[in-house]
Formats: sequence, structure tokens, C-alpha cells
Amino acid sequence: MKVKDVMSAQIVTVSPSDTAQSAARLMLETDVGALPVEVPGVGAIVGIITDRDIVLSVLARGLSTSTTIAEFMTVSPEVCDEQDDTAAVADRMRERGVRRLVVVNADHRVVGIVSLVDLSSDEPEKEKWQ
Amino acid sequence: MTIFPIDRLWDEAVVLEGDRQMLRVQSTRDALLCLKNHWPIDRTDAVSAAMSACEQGLQSDEDPTRARQALIDAAKEAGFRVNSWTT
Repeated sequence: MKVKDVMSAQIVTVSPSDTAQSAARLMLETDVGALPVEVPGVGAIVGIITDRDIVLSVLARGLSTSTTIAEFMTVSPEVCDEQDDTAAVADRMRERGVRRLVVVNADHRVVGIVSLVDLSSDEPEKEKWQ
Repeated sequence: MTIFPIDRLWDEAVVLEGDRQMLRVQSTRDALLCLKNHWPIDRTDAVSAAMSACEQGLQSDEDPTRARQALIDAAKEAGFRVNSWTT
């Protein structure tokens, strides 16, 4: 199976200079819990932020909602291709210790995010102990 | 509402202070979301004009300062205190 079959499709990204507040507004509007962080104009993916990051890394620590994304994002410049095999990508993510990867197409444009949970649902169910 | 994948960043943020709200806006897409989802008053002509300016700014290469100024005008009408170096 390919990554494009299990990923969450999305094309909206944020910039490292955007704030926690603006990212939260975008998550609300697009109904997603994670956003790729892309350098505007350059198109390079530099990381991912999640709604959980905003709660735990900004609100819980008492930081301002104007805190820039660059200050609390998970830095992860690695991406995978939508045509990649899911098992190979899952192995790579476990190896690197990341839970999410940004998915790009052949033109290197963001097309989605894939999580380990998405990929594990593709794995055959393990036999239960009798 | 159309989700705009491309945003237009502004040179300087606008901070809008209301009685129970503080909105910090530094891009055209974010301004549009504030106007649409987080505005304290019903849609007035100034709000509609600001939303149109934002949508137009996101669909073209128009100078983003037009959307920024439209947001400021709508914010003043809504009773926000507007904080910005260039306002």
C-alpha cells in the first residue's frame, strides 16, 4: 500500500514566523490537528506543529499566544513521497523516532501528513494470544 | 469558505485589543479567519469590505497592505484598540 492511501490529505501550511494563535485559528478553520511548517517563498519543509504542541509547549508553560511557531515546532525537515510504500515509511519513522511526516508529491508540493497511527492501521492485525 | 493554501505575510503585525480578546494578526489569511470566525460584532459593511480585500489579496499579487489597512478599519469600527508601529 502507498502513503497516499492512508495519509490525511492537506495542502495548507504555516510559516515559522506565524504565531501559535494564528496556527490555532487555521487548525480550527481546516479541521486538522497538525500543520506542516514551510519556509515561505522557498518551499522547504522544516517541521510540523500539532494542536497538542500549542497546548503543552505554549499554554501550559505560560508563554504568550504570540509565540512564533519556530520556537515550539517539532523540527523535522524529513518528508516522504505519496508514492512511498507504507511499511518502509513506518520503519523509517520508528528509526528516526518521529510520529508524523509531511507527505509531498513528485513536484515536491505538500499534499498531506501521515502519522504512525495511519501507517499501523495498514499493518496486518497481530494474532491474539489464546 | 475557500481555504487558501498560499498566505501573504505582512511586514508588521497588527495587535487588536478588545475587552476580552487580543488578536495578533500578521498575514492576510489570518486576517480573513479573524474576520470570519473571531469577530466580536455582526458583519457590517467594513467587515465585508475587509473580507473582500483579504480574499482578493490571497487570489492575486496585490500589495498586502491593502488587506492590512482594511482589517484596521474594520477593527476600529468594532471597537478594538489597534496597536501597530505604522498605524
